[in-house]
Amino acid sequence: MTLRVSVEPRARPALAVRVGVPIASLAAAALVGAAIIVVSGNSPLEAYRTVLDSSLNGVRPITRTLVLATPLILTGLAAAVAFRMRVWNIGAEGQLYMGAIAASGLALWLPADTPKVLMLAAMIVGGSVLGALWAGVAALPKAYFNTNEVITTLMLNFVALYFMNYLIFGTVSFWRDPGRNYPQGKLIPDSAELPIIHHRLHYGLVIALIAAVVLWWVLRGTTWGFELRTIGDSPSASRYAGMSVSGKILSVLALSGALAGVAGAIEISGTLKALDPRAVATELGFTGIVVAAVARLNPLGVVPVAVLLGAVAASGAKLQTIGIDAEIVFLLQGLIFLFVASGEFFLSNRLVVSSTSAAMSQTPATEAAHE
Amino acid sequence: MNDSVLVLSIVSAIVAGTPILFAALGEILTERSGVMNLGVEGMMLIGGVTGFWAGVQTGNLWVALLAGGLAGVVFSAVHALLAISLRVNQIVSGLALVIVGNGLSSYWGTIGDAPLIQSFNGVQVDPILPEALRGLPAVGPILFGHDPVVYLSWLIVAGAGYFLYRTNAGLSLRAVGEDPAAADAAGLSVTGIRYLFTLVGGFGAGVGGAYLALAVLGTWQAGMTAGAGWIAVALVILAGWRPWLALLASYVFGALRTLGFTLQIAGVEVPSDFLSMIPFVVTFLVVVIVSANPERARRVGAPASLGEPYSREAR
Repeated sequence: MTLRVSVEPRARPALAVRVGVPIASLAAAALVGAAIIVVSGNSPLEAYRTVLDSSLNGVRPITRTLVLATPLILTGLAAAVAFRMRVWNIGAEGQLYMGAIAASGLALWLPADTPKVLMLAAMIVGGSVLGALWAGVAALPKAYFNTNEVITTLMLNFVALYFMNYLIFGTVSFWRDPGRNYPQGKLIPDSAELPIIHHRLHYGLVIALIAAVVLWWVLRGTTWGFELRTIGDSPSASRYAGMSVSGKILSVLALSGALAGVAGAIEISGTLKALDPRAVATELGFTGIVVAAVARLNPLGVVPVAVLLGAVAASGAKLQTIGIDAEIVFLLQGLIFLFVASGEFFLSNRLVVSSTSAAMSQTPATEAAHE
Repeated sequence: MNDSVLVLSIVSAIVAGTPILFAALGEILTERSGVMNLGVEGMMLIGGVTGFWAGVQTGNLWVALLAGGLAGVVFSAVHALLAISLRVNQIVSGLALVIVGNGLSSYWGTIGDAPLIQSFNGVQVDPILPEALRGLPAVGPILFGHDPVVYLSWLIVAGAGYFLYRTNAGLSLRAVGEDPAAADAAGLSVTGIRYLFTLVGGFGAGVGGAYLALAVLGTWQAGMTAGAGWIAVALVILAGWRPWLALLASYVFGALRTLGFTLQIAGVEVPSDFLSMIPFVVTFLVVVIVSANPERARRVGAPASLGEPYSREAR
């Protein structure tokens, strides 16, 4: 008698499963992360205590976590809306750079005594427009030639990165501070800075939260959102039903790029205050993909997940002081992504373990249960 | 004449193209089985850091390349488990490999008393053919001046082409990628073949990463691939899933990646950021052009079941 493991689809997972699987996935990621920390000669308990301590223990750590979570909410939404239609926008990274370039450019170009409201509106609109246009460069061939958008959006990330580097490191551009020997972006005026909620936490968080709620409503409560979800589930059936799939590809990628562009604008206005390529290019766009996947593409789910990954990111500097390199942050985020992705399987399937003899006698019953 | 700009730039293009070639050959075989592994960048990075570490430890090029290849196999096994058995979306699973590979390799590079980012290349990568051949005008450096790994890659290109089109095993592989249900009915193990060639692809990417760190760069740097893995993925499309076209395309991209160096010795001044952009702009344009013509897009021959999980029950 041998044990046999078979896979059976789950119709609709029970609440316990829907809560339990993601928690088990996070626990598995933490365990593998711990194993790697042990192998590299450090104490995982100390590491994880430091992560909790430096991200959630006290007002300062919490504000630091939320500051880091703010762009991740927006890039998470950018990925979630596109992925929901199975349009794989891997280009939030580059769209964010473009948003940062547009927002810092506008802040430096508009008169410094422009009213704050107008200035901030211009930066956010400008960031979203350039982000959307940059996504559009990949969206047009996707919509009309069905060009593989994974490749095109990814290539555009590198183009945007080198363009941003050029503006600061390659030449004395409009963005660069000519008064300094070391290449550095010009500081934006006070009127272009997002107001502060507390300590370093700025109102960008509120903008991100509003975006999450609006996107949630758009996906659930509007025709546009309904069509987007339908196309995502079955593109050919949607075409028969008379939906314009090409038009939807354009609008979804534009929205996705705009959200990433806003993330770039908010980073400039709320956190960086100048176009600093090294500080802009910190994989916020890629981490947004992790956020969206862990949140199962639910815009409201993106918020807590972004806070979780923001907390991990916030502990990077502190981990360095106990001798664990900050690179561990990306490793932990990647492991979370990997395990949550595997967990998807257990949400839609279950494993049935049975002994062979029993399985044989049960086969008709199982089949009947299926029908 | 062997010091001329043209000869030097062709030689450097071949060297720079070789890591991409290994990765692209592996990905061609993986995709021919119907599995798309976008994690090439991550597998190259983990292969690079493992190979570099093994090179520092042993000083042996072949051991280092093997170690890099095996690290790629381990990573691709994760993708195989997720994409083939657990039927996780292959794009999501591939991206996860990139992020984990980037994080793990960067972290590995910084740990210990003698971190890899401060270590020097431990292996010798020298030309193998006799001086007399290497000294020939033009063809000497271009054809005969390389290290053994470059010649190995040529053998693998020929071997992969022969395997795909002239052997029963190659036919089985293509059948699984084109029509898994028919292949299954004919008695082939779809799951087994997909697992095997996903691992083969991981080996190729790992070797490519190790060669990049050991022979092309000579040092370990976090994120040293700088998009080479993604170019390899795109190149599979450009090459129409054909090994010998991948060879050609790899060297073209090698040339684009070393264009800065070439122009510098030719005395042309172009901002380096724009030079770095070129391979990505060209890849973007070529992918769009290939897809713009539906007739051509069909003829280049993507495996019909590429990216779709197979389950006997769901037929």
